[in-house]
Amino acid sequence: MTSQGSRSSETDMGYGPGTIKEPGFRYRPMGRDAEGMELYEIFIGPQHPASGHMRIVVRLDGDIIVNADPDIGYVHRTMEKLSETREYLKSIPLFERATIIDSANITWPYVRAVEQMLGVEAPLRAKYLRTLLAEINRISSHLYGFGLTGIFINHSTMYMWSFGDREIWVQLAEELTGARLTHTYIIPGGVRRDLPQGFKEKALKAIRYMERRLEDYMKIFVYNPVTVARFREVGVLTKNDASRLGIVGPNLRASGVHYDARIAEKYGAYPELDFEIPVMEEGDSLARLLVRIEEIKQSMRIIKQVLDKMPQGPFFADKYMRLIPPALRKHVAETGRIKLPGAFIRLKPPAGEAVARGEMGHGEVFYHIVSTGDTKPYRVRIITPAFRNVVLFRHLTRGARFMDLPVIYGSIDYFPPEGDR
Amino acid sequence: MLGPLDPLINFILEPYFFSPFIYPGLTIGLVVLLTLIWAERKMAAKVQLRYGPLYVSKQIGGALQMIADALRFFFQEPIIPRQVDKIVFLATPALALTVTVLPFIFIPAAPSYVGVAVSYSLPLVLALGALIPVVIILMAWGANNKFTLVGGIREAFMTVGYEVALFISAFAAALYYKTLDLSVMVEKQASLGLPGIIINPIAGFVFFVAMLMASSKLPFDIVEGEQEIVAGPFTEYSGILYGLVMGASYLYLYVLMLVFVEMFLSGWLPVIHGLGSIYPALGGVMLFVKTYILLLFAVFLRGVYGRYRLDQALSLGWRRLVPLSLIAALWSFGLLIAGV
Repeated sequence: MTSQGSRSSETDMGYGPGTIKEPGFRYRPMGRDAEGMELYEIFIGPQHPASGHMRIVVRLDGDIIVNADPDIGYVHRTMEKLSETREYLKSIPLFERATIIDSANITWPYVRAVEQMLGVEAPLRAKYLRTLLAEINRISSHLYGFGLTGIFINHSTMYMWSFGDREIWVQLAEELTGARLTHTYIIPGGVRRDLPQGFKEKALKAIRYMERRLEDYMKIFVYNPVTVARFREVGVLTKNDASRLGIVGPNLRASGVHYDARIAEKYGAYPELDFEIPVMEEGDSLARLLVRIEEIKQSMRIIKQVLDKMPQGPFFADKYMRLIPPALRKHVAETGRIKLPGAFIRLKPPAGEAVARGEMGHGEVFYHIVSTGDTKPYRVRIITPAFRNVVLFRHLTRGARFMDLPVIYGSIDYFPPEGDR
Repeated sequence: MLGPLDPLINFILEPYFFSPFIYPGLTIGLVVLLTLIWAERKMAAKVQLRYGPLYVSKQIGGALQMIADALRFFFQEPIIPRQVDKIVFLATPALALTVTVLPFIFIPAAPSYVGVAVSYSLPLVLALGALIPVVIILMAWGANNKFTLVGGIREAFMTVGYEVALFISAFAAALYYKTLDLSVMVEKQASLGLPGIIINPIAGFVFFVAMLMASSKLPFDIVEGEQEIVAGPFTEYSGILYGLVMGASYLYLYVLMLVFVEMFLSGWLPVIHGLGSIYPALGGVMLFVKTYILLLFAVFLRGVYGRYRLDQALSLGWRRLVPLSLIAALWSFGLLIAGV
């Protein structure tokens, strides 16, 4: 910061094209273009019909975006700090709220990291159940993103359809866990409930319905001439840039990088299942949509396999089952629902550190937990996929047209509460 | 016997009053407005697997929802922001509605029934319609807000995008009829026994698409572009002022649709003589029926399409519609030369 008089220069403002040096990007002084004309600055959000929980500061040269700065943090809830004040188990419902639409996937790596420190491993059946819920969540997360993408180009039918169809998966998750969104299903040592009776039929019915609906989606939205015109070759993310910027999830895979934490980390039941990681080479907004459609199909394939291969056996680690009084243990065996023992809240991992990562609908989530041997963690670091992808706002919008901004926003499937934590 | 109200009734029934204010003008326009928006929402809801307007008058599918909305608009406080140009801000909604309603005077509603009979009704109607963008740009400037300004610029761009195609395609059709009078055009179609859309389908298509662009209906609702610029030029409006500007765009669609039906779908034919003997304007009720069905189609597109980008709409206008409208003009010319 220099004197107050020269605040209009971009370096003073702390953001602008000068802060990230892009190869091939022509440097322009903020506030004025090469001809000395002033740039038009528009603040989109946080009180704006399409911004929701964040602000994008857009600088326009005519219709061309010179710079779009995501201004995040409006829904920052100090989750990392809060988790230091509560026991390990209590942090699970907290972290769920970062990505409430994908709550199984965001807490699973946390639970795995805690399990690593505790030296517990979930029984095989629990791993299958976790995988089942994770894939249900992945589908509903993608449908949520689809709906928003639709309404971003004012395609209200896509919005309504995918939010309506998401309900099927939310209800399926409710059937399994008892809660629509905040399941707190995956806990250290296993899962909270066993597979309910008749779940397989319901899930297969939902899959059949969704397969039919995906074809409808393709017809009315994805291959709609308007959508193709708006999404194709818009916001192109090259393979090189995708890996350089550390992009994760479907956005990375749409740029031709074959990376998925489910494969890389080999957690849950994934190593035993047969599924593909959809990858596309184009890297444009349309490719990002299509990758998500394919992922929904693959998730349904996984769910089918999980239901077929589901092994018999306990769904909660023996070590903790023994803490439950015998009378209650009988009740658990009959109903398939854990009544958590009171001592369970005082889980005390030995001093040390653990890391774990997992693949959410939006991309890879990473946890780093430091324990001092207390009932509460010393530090929990969460790196969420939305936070890693937020840089795309700046990177992809440069040189795009102003009306491309909602398309790019929709296609990268940014979820502000997740980015802000 | 001359009753005390007879002079008034006679005045109301005079074409120069009845046409702009009752049918096809303001009153029926208001009915179209209220029912069309309801139908639009109901149809979109049907496609989107939901109910749409329901709770106001549940028995008739929430048909009174729009009246409730209109009442709400009336009683909502119209906020006048401090930074606006007050006179322009308050005058432009009324002005927009006025230039939208004025063309009704020149649109014939039935055989030999028109508010003011002029032999240049087609260019007059289109010229009055072409004033609307000017008002909207004024509105955008007067509201003095970044979003309205971008909206105003978009309106200006869109205007140059569709207006040329709209005018050329209209004149291409008129070229074949050898008249610029809408009444005569309908008579020509009657004497040929063919609707204009069969005589010159290209002109009809171009006019229809340009019409959607002119009235900012999906997939061309670029000016209002909610996801980028809130409500475009209308961002600062609330209450009845907002109601007026929103209504104006639907009314303009109605005006253009009337013109479209008269030019390409043989207007009020077949004439309903029974109704015509009650009052001459009622004989042309088929004009209204055709118009309304096409309006329903136009608003149904909301359930199918998203929004085009500004430059894509412009390139559609200049690279597709303008050449097509020129071809339509040549087509009409060719038909005349061939003497068909």
